Amino acid sequence: MKKGDKFQQTFTVDSRVYKGFIDIFKDTNPLHTDGAFAIERGFKSEVMHGNILNGFLSYFIGECLPLKNVIIQTQEIKFSLPVYLDSVLTFNAEIQDVFDSVKMIEFKYYFQNVEGKKVAKGTIQIGLI
Amino acid sequence: MESSEALKQVNAIFIDVLDNEDIVLTPETTASDIEEWDSLNHIQLVVAIEKHFKQRFTSAEIQKWSNVGEMCDAIQQRLNK
Repeated sequence: MKKGDKFQQTFTVDSRVYKGFIDIFKDTNPLHTDGAFAIERGFKSEVMHGNILNGFLSYFIGECLPLKNVIIQTQEIKFSLPVYLDSVLTFNAEIQDVFDSVKMIEFKYYFQNVEGKKVAKGTIQIGLI
Repeated sequence: MESSEALKQVNAIFIDVLDNEDIVLTPETTASDIEEWDSLNHIQLVVAIEKHFKQRFTSAEIQKWSNVGEMCDAIQQRLNK
């Protein structure tokens, strides 16, 4: 893998992902579970947990790269727009830098909704083990 | 760049990466002198140093560094080339 390499993956925040996240992590904050509460605060409906996207990131690093000898070393994410149930997100990542000395690859990434708007972006550094 | 200036800049990088304002590096400082300087943070330190000085080192070069002084000497030699 080299600087400039690009990757793309589509993810859907369906009810299985949403309910599974709540079932495992127990975050039932009304913003995520009460549509009326969310609408009163200016959202269209229940807002999906932002950290669901971190699960997708984990899948990308663990399953979508051509190498399997990888470990996430650092990860940053900024959420810019809400994501709702059944949203289809396109994940785009590009290798920003490769540090051969310490076997580390740095990606810049973003998630985009079907309207073409970025809902989250960040960087992730992986080590080759 | 003089060695003392490289050390000063490397010290600032260590403070930032290791999140410890109390770090005062000397040429003799090694990983065993700084609690936070573990193998994972070592990677972050090298990446931060390479980014800051806009230099790339090989793994063989890095493995030769036995203390901060040797790290700074390597940086200085690169910058003065």
